[in-house]
Amino acid sequence: MSEVLLEMKGVSVKFGGLTALSDIDYSITSRSLACIIGPNGAGKSTFLNVLTGTLRPSIGSVAFRGRDIGGLALHRISRLGIARKFQIPSVFPSLSVAENMDVARWGAAREPDETDVLEMVGLSARRDVKAADLSHGEKQWLEIGMAIAASPKLLLLDEPTAGMTSQETQATAALLHRLKRHTAIIAVEHDISFVRALDTDTLVLHQGRLFRRGPFSEIEADEAVRDVYLGRR
Amino acid sequence: MEAAVTTLLNALTLIGILSLVGLGLTISFGLMNVTNLAHGEFLTVGAYAVYFTQSFGGSYWLGLVTAPLAAAIVGCALEWLILRHLYEKPIAAILATWGASLVIQQSLELVFGLGGKPVLPPVQGALDLSVAAYPAYRILLICIAAIALGLVLVLVRRTSFGLDIRTVIQNRTMAEAVGINTRRVYAIAFAFGAGVAGLAGALVSPLTTVLPQMGVGYLANAFFVVIVGGAGSVAGLIAGSTFIGGLTSVLNYQMSPSLVQAIVLLVAILIVRVRPNGLLSTAGALR
Amino acid sequence: MKHRGRLVALAAGTCVLSIYPAFADEYHLTVLRDALLFGLFAVSLDFFWGSTGILSFGHATFFGLGGYVMTLVTMTSGLPAPSVLGLFAAVGAPAALAAIVGYFLLFGGVRGSFFTIVTLALSVIAQQLVISWSSVTGGDTGLLGVPPLALGGYEISGAMATYIVVAVTLIVVLLALRALEQSRWGKILIAIGDNEVRAAALGHNAPARLTLTFVISAAVAGFAGGLYVAIAGVVAPDLIGLLLSTEVIVWVAIGGRGTLLGPVVGAVLVQRAQQEISSMNPSLWPLILGCTFVIIVFVAPDGVMSIAERSRMLLRRRSA
Ligand SMILES: Nc1ncnc2c1ncn2[C@@H]1O[C@H](COP(=O)(O)OP(=O)(O)OP(=O)(O)O)[C@@H](O)[C@H]1O
Ligand SMILES: [Mg+2]
Repeated sequence: MSEVLLEMKGVSVKFGGLTALSDIDYSITSRSLACIIGPNGAGKSTFLNVLTGTLRPSIGSVAFRGRDIGGLALHRISRLGIARKFQIPSVFPSLSVAENMDVARWGAAREPDETDVLEMVGLSARRDVKAADLSHGEKQWLEIGMAIAASPKLLLLDEPTAGMTSQETQATAALLHRLKRHTAIIAVEHDISFVRALDTDTLVLHQGRLFRRGPFSEIEADEAVRDVYLGRR
Repeated sequence: MEAAVTTLLNALTLIGILSLVGLGLTISFGLMNVTNLAHGEFLTVGAYAVYFTQSFGGSYWLGLVTAPLAAAIVGCALEWLILRHLYEKPIAAILATWGASLVIQQSLELVFGLGGKPVLPPVQGALDLSVAAYPAYRILLICIAAIALGLVLVLVRRTSFGLDIRTVIQNRTMAEAVGINTRRVYAIAFAFGAGVAGLAGALVSPLTTVLPQMGVGYLANAFFVVIVGGAGSVAGLIAGSTFIGGLTSVLNYQMSPSLVQAIVLLVAILIVRVRPNGLLSTAGALR
Repeated sequence: MKHRGRLVALAAGTCVLSIYPAFADEYHLTVLRDALLFGLFAVSLDFFWGSTGILSFGHATFFGLGGYVMTLVTMTSGLPAPSVLGLFAAVGAPAALAAIVGYFLLFGGVRGSFFTIVTLALSVIAQQLVISWSSVTGGDTGLLGVPPLALGGYEISGAMATYIVVAVTLIVVLLALRALEQSRWGKILIAIGDNEVRAAALGHNAPARLTLTFVISAAVAGFAGGLYVAIAGVVAPDLIGLLLSTEVIVWVAIGGRGTLLGPVVGAVLVQRAQQEISSMNPSLWPLILGCTFVIIVFVAPDGVMSIAERSRMLLRRRSA
């Protein structure tokens, strides 16, 4: 039913002597939801950077819908249908909230209709406010909104719930489950309660390696994973 | 043979001057990340200092000492009055320093009057080098420039002040944390670069007529010396000067100075495109 | 709100320009006309600098290139419709040069201070080339006797006719660039200026957009240069050099970067001041120009007009 959307084969990323990702094999099908966890510096953001073209893998290949995207320019990859919410909110401060969303939509290869994404992320009352004047939490939501606005085929979210209240965290989890019907999602997260709420296919990265992969219930029960988080490994 | 030796010596003269002028830019542009378009004026101030000293009957040598001091003082004033406030605003710094450059030029004209000023060299005549005769003063210039660059290298690599500079440049907040007064280090480093440019001005002054606008002619070249060589290192500075000075001297032998200037700058731009981090960088083109 | 204010300002400006000939003698009309031509040049710089935040320190290269190309075309005998051809060339040549420079620099990732310095060098190169290629360009002295504009066998000369051509051109260009800035294109440029990597990650080809903006800007500058030489009748190296490149920056900075209309006002005011001051003492002007650069940076970083805007806001806050 669902085809393979993204396939990474033997991907490694090195920064000088440091290996940030090492020999990752991974694939995800369309309309699915995956979650990446791992301690600080495990390579999670690097993982996303490889997918968006911000970084080029030192070794290995990344294919999106059967097409090799290694070394493709950032905007080209985006136009294939990969959108991303950055770890540090980086909205456009000089533009209004609505204009930020417009710029996100206009970048898509086939421009999506103006759906009310702002409603979804709870910013419709703030549409004419300059993004510079938003609170940190609102910027987070705007980031998420912009990533959704382009109706991507693959949605990458780097720590979407950082700085959110537990209620908002639950709302985000619910939102992702809804979005999963249209798009594949990979979310990087530290917040275990969020990951639990997602309750989905989970990857554990540790020192650049794919340490475990499985449903969250299994991962949660895994002693070795706990050791990694507690720094015992 | 004779032509080759002359061209080589011409090149060395130019390389010496460009290295000295470029040093201040390596510090400000390369290390402090601020674009100072008034840098050429430090050279001009140095040249005027020599003229001023001689007009009171002072010797060239006295001028050679006052020139870097005068330029350093002007540099200090520029840093304190203007640049200090603009380290975080790159475009504002560009505009303000260009304005400062015009003000300095015009002030020199108001103080010293219109027209070019002559400076007498300390030694006259030519030195017979068996294959070619070459002006004695230029040989002297090459020697002084080489010594000055050597001293700069020792200062940066071997003294505690050099260490301070390098620490601040690598990480400003970290340097502050270990108790270095980064503000003062910036000011001193900047004034130091200005002083060395002033020395360059003193050295070129007997070779040309001293004019308020003379520094502007060196500005673009000096920037490309720094950019082509790779901003921020003494080795890069010398590589850049050798490249620009050498190319200019070789071309000068065949065509008009305007055309040479145009060609040299064009080639420099090409190099910046191919090697954005400079000739000496190992990282290569970034994409 | 702010946009409406600017439209009102543009309408007011149009009124002033259309009434002015009724009150001014021929001399003053030509003075304003020349100032407006430089105003058009300032608009071209503002279109790039204002919407991308990247400063070109060598924009006179494009203005001067337009001027020289116009001169060479119109002074070639035997061409049909030389003025039209000339203006096309005066737009095309700078646009082509900007495309090359843009491809080279902007696609190469050259931004910020590096871009500024390379464009500064470009202006120096252009001036040196013009001076050393004297058989074609007339060298240091330039070329005299550039033929006036002629359209369909009809010669446009005389203060009134040329004034009208310049004023109408200026208003049309202003309206067109304003529309462009307010369109999707302008919004995306602002986004790129805010955060280029982010805009690229959203699918926008930043280098291509920046380059095209640079090309449009250079084309307008070249057009202004072409008009200028045809109306002034002379072309000289100072139209392509570093000094003009920096003066235009002052006009834009004083008028207010990113406002399009502001730079026209800036150009007119500064040139007026320049004439007054130079007639008192010719060597005073560069000094004042230099001080102006410094003062703008510290006192009115958003242009002189913004001071009025700021004081109005202050007043409103006080009365509220
Ligand atoms: N551009 C870079 N240059 C050098 N090293 C880098 C770079 N980006 C990341 N690293 C290093 O690679 C490793 C992985 O970083 P990454 O940002 O992927 O971690 P992360 O899992 O996202 O951590 P966090 O939870 O803190 O966001 C870290 O050791 C980091 O210091
Ligand atoms: Mg991270």
